[in-house]
Amino acid sequence: MSKQVQDAYIVAATRTPVAKYRGAFRNVRPDDMLAHVLRGVMARAPGLDPQLIGDVVAGCAMPEAEQGMNVARIGLLLAGLPQSVSGMTLNRFCASGIQAVATAADRIRLGEADVMIAAGTESMSCMPTMMGNKVSLNPAVFARDENVGIAYGMGLTAEKVAVQWKVSREDQDAFAVASHRKATAAIAAGKFRSEISPYTVQDHVPDFKSGAVKIVEKIVENDEGPRPDSSMEGLAKLRPVFAAKGSVTAGNASQMSDGAGAVLIVSEKILKQFNLQPIARFLGFAVAGVPPEVMGIGPIEAIPRVLRQTGVRQDDVDWIELNEAFAAQALAVMRTLGLDQAKVNPLGGAIALGHPLGATGAIRTATIMSAMQRKEARYGMVTMCIGTGMGAAGLFEAV
Amino acid sequence: MSNFIVRKVAVLGAGVMGAQIAAHCANANVPVVLFDLPAKEGDPNGIVKKALDGLKKLEPTPFAAKDRVNYIDAANYDQNLELLHGCDLIIEAIAEKMEWKHDLYRKVAPFVADHAIFASNTSGLSINALADALPEGLRGRFCGVHFFNPPRYMQLVELIACKGTAPGLLDDLETFLVTTLGKGVVRALDTPNFVANRVGVFSMLAVMHHTERLGLGFDVVDALTGPAIGRPKSATYRTADVVGLDTMAHVIKTMQDTLPNDPWHKYYAAPAWLGALIRKGALGQKTKAGIYRKEGKAINVLDLAKQDYRPSAGEVDAEVAAILKIKNPAEKFDKLRAHPSAQAQFLWAIFRDIFHYCAFHLDAIADNARDVDFAMRWGFGWREGPFETWQVAGWQAIANAVKADIEAGKALTGAPLPSWVWGDEKAGRNGVHGAKGSYSASARADEPRSTLPVYARQLFPERVPGEAQDAGTTVFESDAVRMWTAGGENDIAILSFKSKMNSLGPDVLEGIIEAVARAEKDFKGMVIWQAKPPFSVGANLAALAPALQAGDFAALDKAVARFQQMTQAVKYAQVPVVSAVNGMALGGGCELAMHSARAVAALESYFGLVEAGVGLIPAGGGCKEFAVRAAQSATTAAGGDVFLFLQPLFQTIAMATTSRSALEARELGFLRDADPVVFNPDEILYVAKQTARALFESGHRPKLPPRGVKVAGRNGIATLEMMLVNMKEGGMISAHDYRVARGAAAALCGGDVETGTPVNEDWLLAVERHEFVELCKTEKTRQRIAHMLETGKPLRN
Repeated sequence: MSKQVQDAYIVAATRTPVAKYRGAFRNVRPDDMLAHVLRGVMARAPGLDPQLIGDVVAGCAMPEAEQGMNVARIGLLLAGLPQSVSGMTLNRFCASGIQAVATAADRIRLGEADVMIAAGTESMSCMPTMMGNKVSLNPAVFARDENVGIAYGMGLTAEKVAVQWKVSREDQDAFAVASHRKATAAIAAGKFRSEISPYTVQDHVPDFKSGAVKIVEKIVENDEGPRPDSSMEGLAKLRPVFAAKGSVTAGNASQMSDGAGAVLIVSEKILKQFNLQPIARFLGFAVAGVPPEVMGIGPIEAIPRVLRQTGVRQDDVDWIELNEAFAAQALAVMRTLGLDQAKVNPLGGAIALGHPLGATGAIRTATIMSAMQRKEARYGMVTMCIGTGMGAAGLFEAV
Repeated sequence: MSNFIVRKVAVLGAGVMGAQIAAHCANANVPVVLFDLPAKEGDPNGIVKKALDGLKKLEPTPFAAKDRVNYIDAANYDQNLELLHGCDLIIEAIAEKMEWKHDLYRKVAPFVADHAIFASNTSGLSINALADALPEGLRGRFCGVHFFNPPRYMQLVELIACKGTAPGLLDDLETFLVTTLGKGVVRALDTPNFVANRVGVFSMLAVMHHTERLGLGFDVVDALTGPAIGRPKSATYRTADVVGLDTMAHVIKTMQDTLPNDPWHKYYAAPAWLGALIRKGALGQKTKAGIYRKEGKAINVLDLAKQDYRPSAGEVDAEVAAILKIKNPAEKFDKLRAHPSAQAQFLWAIFRDIFHYCAFHLDAIADNARDVDFAMRWGFGWREGPFETWQVAGWQAIANAVKADIEAGKALTGAPLPSWVWGDEKAGRNGVHGAKGSYSASARADEPRSTLPVYARQLFPERVPGEAQDAGTTVFESDAVRMWTAGGENDIAILSFKSKMNSLGPDVLEGIIEAVARAEKDFKGMVIWQAKPPFSVGANLAALAPALQAGDFAALDKAVARFQQMTQAVKYAQVPVVSAVNGMALGGGCELAMHSARAVAALESYFGLVEAGVGLIPAGGGCKEFAVRAAQSATTAAGGDVFLFLQPLFQTIAMATTSRSALEARELGFLRDADPVVFNPDEILYVAKQTARALFESGHRPKLPPRGVKVAGRNGIATLEMMLVNMKEGGMISAHDYRVARGAAAALCGGDVETGTPVNEDWLLAVERHEFVELCKTEKTRQRIAHMLETGKPLRN
């Protein structure tokens, strides 16, 4: 069924550390973060002629304001890539990053390009609300009952999932604690070191005493989100945010974050021409729609679809980056599909590591690539649920 | 004239009082440097910064607006004393230890500016003894300035001169305290605990004595000594818990140590049970246990007989309660004295002792009887002070009863009442307050009120019985309103309501409309002012009830339209109409203030469009006014998106948010930047009249009705509905809350029209009226209204 003419290989992937909402990157622009990872990923393929880049595809869930005006093109120019290189921003909400990887890979698989960069960038700190700078809902949403779910906040959809899939508060909290524990251990073991391009933040601050502008530099090397002290007792104290008698809290939901990631994808021809070492082959990608009011179950539809498409058995997938938008939906997906807990988010997930929306797919692809370089995975998957009711899944094979 | 300018204040000591005094200065736009000791580790200003964080969490909040904390700079005595040079007023508020204060005074004195006032907030130490540590040059600028806790809310400040205090210094400080900080000032003498605490603590000691003598429960005594006799809800023992039992004991000890010759000296001792509680660490509210202890939702009270806590259930006996309800004070006291029950005997005894005590000590502790009465009103929240209670109950009759008890050995001491109580040879005394002033036992004459110019700003200050008061000249009067002029100033009319809680019924509406017409014809302007708060609690729901019950929606529509005509008449009056607000301005009362050319608001003004509580939306122009204001703000914003400005206003209406101060009312959008906030409620009428006059003199014409008001329209409604659907689905609001809030969304967004459509005020008024009447048609709104009328409380359905 595949109509591809050549394989698409990932030869490099990198990311910024993921910073907390209004944390280390509160003054860092998303276009600068993108430029940073574009430079970083090119640096990992020395000798590769940037003129050959067919396109830069960057995912972004709220492509407006600081990350508007086609942030992909702005980011690549800021990165110093040649003006002849083109760029597009694409938006599939939370799955924008993995969608960018799939779209970029497909251009190679179709023979239309030989070098592509897939990326994602998102600064949630730049956004006044979760819904962008200007929120405006279509009145028609309220005209049909089945569309009212469009108006639901993500947290409310997680509450609906928790009820329908019977995920208890205790299970959600335990899942969250495990996410923090795994992430903390991974950072301590230096598991993210190779994939991260440390970011030097330069804050321009007024020095009231001298009247001059002072530049305060800080190098950010690690993800900010994981809490070594996360505990069931601590999480139990948090109150539900989205429903009066609910179970979803700030502690068992993904963190709002800032970050960017980039993935360099090439054809076999380029591998040979520039003597590049491939990390993985891109196998396929699938996306599916689900009811908006339970958007978190999206992967339940998308995962089987990508497995059918690629002929890979679920049991053979040994590393799954399942985005933890909420513990409730992650658990519902894992239980429904029977995913092996040990294979899901071995280094922690978005509850600990953060979820910079449109960047997450590219960031977690970088995580899988480094796992493959460490020979810890053969088949790796990045999957996530998507606001307004979709799921996406992309599959890689180590080479 | 010469102005006393306070550019900056320094407060020394970031404890409970110091930090809160700093906060209140910041409320009043007076920047503050708050000092304390340097922290032993970390940030040297850590102690002050921690205190400021504490202030942000304190309830009731010392800050009138959140941003006020930014105007308090943290400092410490080791590094920042040079900052004192820039301060015009320095208030010391450290712990009550003479040596500590002396040490600090010696340390800071070299840094105090030559013109600055240096004042101590001591509550009990001698001002003259404190002054001893100061260099001679500073003594002339030293005095006591005694605030009460919490200083934002308690009106009283006692000012105490020391021997060397320069003439005029207290006048300057008093002017600042009265207008800028909005306080009620009493000049006290340098006697232990000054006026309010001297009388107030004695009152508590007397209450404690008679509680034990008569074997009453603490909870029963609190039921007797609270609102039942015109004192605060916290009454006696809950007040002690709030103050802190250790603090109480300290104040009592001060009296014991410093008043050895006082006839009541043997009562200046903490009862044994109080000492026992303190030893156990049960110090009151701050330790979560004291005389009372809260366990979950239950409130338990210490029972001396059981030596343990038991559920608090104190109630006033029915017969005693009936006596306390008697309007005639003479009859009330007669019946109390005659009633044999322990409760009645207790009440007579505590009144008798306080009368006895105040009369005996008047010459030593206060300039005159008025100062004692105001000190108790303002410092302890008593509705009336001891002398006025005595006077209105019949001076001679009470005096004779007290005398009889003294002679019978029933009073706490045998010290006779001073002779002035009985009057002189010429005439028997009928009271201490009269047309000529209030009696001064030290001067043996009646003392008139202060002639300090600041008091000319108080056109109708609080009065004591027997004082003359300008009745004003009536312009016209109905059963519902009175339009009048006062103080011989016939250029500005005053309009006051006569309804209960100054609610707005149909007759009040008609009165306002007529008053506006008369003001346009005969006056430079009109001020809407009430002699007592609230400004107005809003539309009179009871007046709507018949039409609601009959389902006569045409009549409801007409009634709402008339209300809108009233607010529009106020807004478009040809002479300025100024609302002088103190206390609550809710619903229609808020709308009235919003439609005035200016609202002059006392700091403690509580604005709110609270209609959602009864299942309705503001329809007296409130939604319209918010829509217009949002549209006007949007014209200055990039993109001109009205929605950004509308959303917070929508939340304010949907959640029926009430401001907790006039400054917060400005943040919420009820008040405009040009609406003055006045710290002293007794000055609002003066300021409002001046404001109306100034507007007239500057050629005031009402703004023309806005045309082309761009509304948020259908997309705006849908976007607000998105928020509502999440709250409803999350179980945070009921289906009817949703319905009501959607009505408000429609009214604020100008109805189901395209986003950005230009409309006018009439259109907006029609939309809010329509939404209002539609809500009246729902069963649940009718239930809410009926419930409010029956119980006075909102129904959640």
